[in-house]
Amino acid sequence: MELYLDQLPQQLINGLTLGGVYALIAIGYTMVYGILGMLNFAHGEIYMIGGFAGWWVLHLLTRNNVVIMNAALVIALMIVIAMGVAALVGMMAERFAYRPLRNAPRMNLLLSALGVSIFLQNLVLHFQGAKVRFFHIASLIPDSLRTFHVGATVFSFMRILLIGVTFVLMGLLTLMIKKTKVGKAMRATAQDIEAATFMGIDVDRIVVVVFMIGSALGGAAGVLVGLMFTQVDYYVGFQAGLKGFTAAVLGGIGSIHGAMLGGILLGLVESLAVTFLPAAYKDVVAFVILIAVLIIRPWGLMGDKIPEKV
Amino acid sequence: MQKSFSTVLAVFLVFIVAAVGYSADIKKGIHIGNAGAFTGDAAAPCMEIYNSAQIAVDEWNAKGGIHGVKIEQIMGDDAMDPAQGVNVAHKFVADELMYGVIGPPMSHIAQATLKIYAGADMAQITTSASKPDLTEQGYKNFFRVNARNDAHGWNAALFIKNYLKAKKVAILNEKVAYCENLSKETVSGLKKLGITDIMQDTIVGGAKDYSAVLTKVKAYKPDVIFFIATTAPDNAIGVRQTKELGINAIFFGSEGARDKKDYIQAAEGAADGSYVYHFAPDVYAIPEAATYVKTFETKYGSISGFGPPAYEAMNILLTAIDQAAADGDITRQEVVDYLHKVKNYKGVLGFPVTFDEKGDLAGGATYFFQVTGNDFKQVAVMTGK
Repeated sequence: MELYLDQLPQQLINGLTLGGVYALIAIGYTMVYGILGMLNFAHGEIYMIGGFAGWWVLHLLTRNNVVIMNAALVIALMIVIAMGVAALVGMMAERFAYRPLRNAPRMNLLLSALGVSIFLQNLVLHFQGAKVRFFHIASLIPDSLRTFHVGATVFSFMRILLIGVTFVLMGLLTLMIKKTKVGKAMRATAQDIEAATFMGIDVDRIVVVVFMIGSALGGAAGVLVGLMFTQVDYYVGFQAGLKGFTAAVLGGIGSIHGAMLGGILLGLVESLAVTFLPAAYKDVVAFVILIAVLIIRPWGLMGDKIPEKV
Repeated sequence: MQKSFSTVLAVFLVFIVAAVGYSADIKKGIHIGNAGAFTGDAAAPCMEIYNSAQIAVDEWNAKGGIHGVKIEQIMGDDAMDPAQGVNVAHKFVADELMYGVIGPPMSHIAQATLKIYAGADMAQITTSASKPDLTEQGYKNFFRVNARNDAHGWNAALFIKNYLKAKKVAILNEKVAYCENLSKETVSGLKKLGITDIMQDTIVGGAKDYSAVLTKVKAYKPDVIFFIATTAPDNAIGVRQTKELGINAIFFGSEGARDKKDYIQAAEGAADGSYVYHFAPDVYAIPEAATYVKTFETKYGSISGFGPPAYEAMNILLTAIDQAAADGDITRQEVVDYLHKVKNYKGVLGFPVTFDEKGDLAGGATYFFQVTGNDFKQVAVMTGK
């Protein structure tokens, strides 16, 4: 028993960071679903592209393994540029692959999304190769700041940064949706896209905004994971996308707060599962919980119970 | 019908030619085949094998060859394609002056050609084909100077017990066949050596985050973490997160981690002092290999690790031919028989070579390296003892 209690605080930290990442990715899935009712399976690739964009910023600002300007500025630039690039890719995917199919059956949109996913993955494979890229973060954080020990529990700088940035971004998103005009328009569009059009809301513009915000958060997740785990390759989007999607469904797809909750829960469940069971059962436990939730509450933890339209 | 007749005829012809080769006068000449992928992606290591074997041939010829007869090495290019490997094998067994073959270096081509060489009693020594199956099929003519895949587990256990002096061991392995087998062999080896305090768990390759399972390892407080992942980047994450979590155990990574850029540099200092194992030696650490290394470097450039076993294999093969030809008359079967008698042959590999009854390197050979600064330093070699 002592064996478990010893590692529990550390596992909670591990789970919280992982959960933050899942939450950021899940928000992108859930926002798009809320408005268009489609699953954007290319979202995982956007996360991956965010990671690559961050890597390039760091790479271009590094000479002989030392960054050429203030480290905090470099990290900020990495996050902002990765979010920008991801937003751009999300916008283009919407413009060229989804908008022409807006009124087509849902299945066509889903297939189009799968196509975008395969396209983006191979695009990166073609231009960046299959080799793993390393984030050389040693010069970003001095040794003395890299880890903090509290008892037997270790907080690494990057984990704190990740949790911090995640919560700030989620807070900003909540504020935007609750308090701004665009947010109001987004909520209206999500409720009824046709009625929103009648009320004078430019639905096309709202959809673009939704794609950009969702993708930007995915890109932020990509670069934060890159900084924390120090590697990115063209294939990381698949697994991340799957986990983000699971988190979105767990929380109730379409609900932004549900996505946040679902992500964090999934991260915690995974690291606690490793604590008590062989690590191979990690995903088994996560998906058993997902299935259990969906049996009891098919609309997810925080999703809306939508009556079947006749 | 026509086709099957020509097949039968071809097989028949091969047997006739092979039969002619059975007994010959040594004075007509001595050919040694070298089968490998000399064109294509694997050309560089295969050329290193060929050139290293050629150095051995040149040295023998400089001393007068075998009973005054000069030795000639003949290249057979399979381009990594089993079908072409079969062609090479047919060509080699049809050469009545050929008494032995070095290679093929790749397991899948060795497998495709085993029957052809065995049918002609042609002695073969491979220098890198490591699939255990190759020597489990009852063929008597096939030998290897490299370790089988499944020899590393026992050697790793010996290293953990005798060199790292561990009492409590955590083993994490990736969930793929090679890593899982190695993990299993190591665990049973450790138990045989009296170490029973073992924690074993799994990781997923490419997952980039092993902190949850490493946190579990930390609570177990092992002396050594044996981290069995296929690729160098995964090993780099393993060692980095081990340090980050403040785990005070010796990090022992796997074969794939012997990569300066993707392991040592990628871990940014975290890998310093960690250990890895590898199937190939650091030839610079072996004094007996100095002359060979010098000759190779002046003639052909830098050595990667595929060369030394080939130099050794050629010398062992030529020694067997020399013994078989002592009475002036030689058959391929005689060469095979003498190879089975090879015991404690001391060459350039840093340990005495003995073939067991299957043709495998007795005890295998696993090399262990420690990371010091930006390089790997060979610290031990284990050969099953």
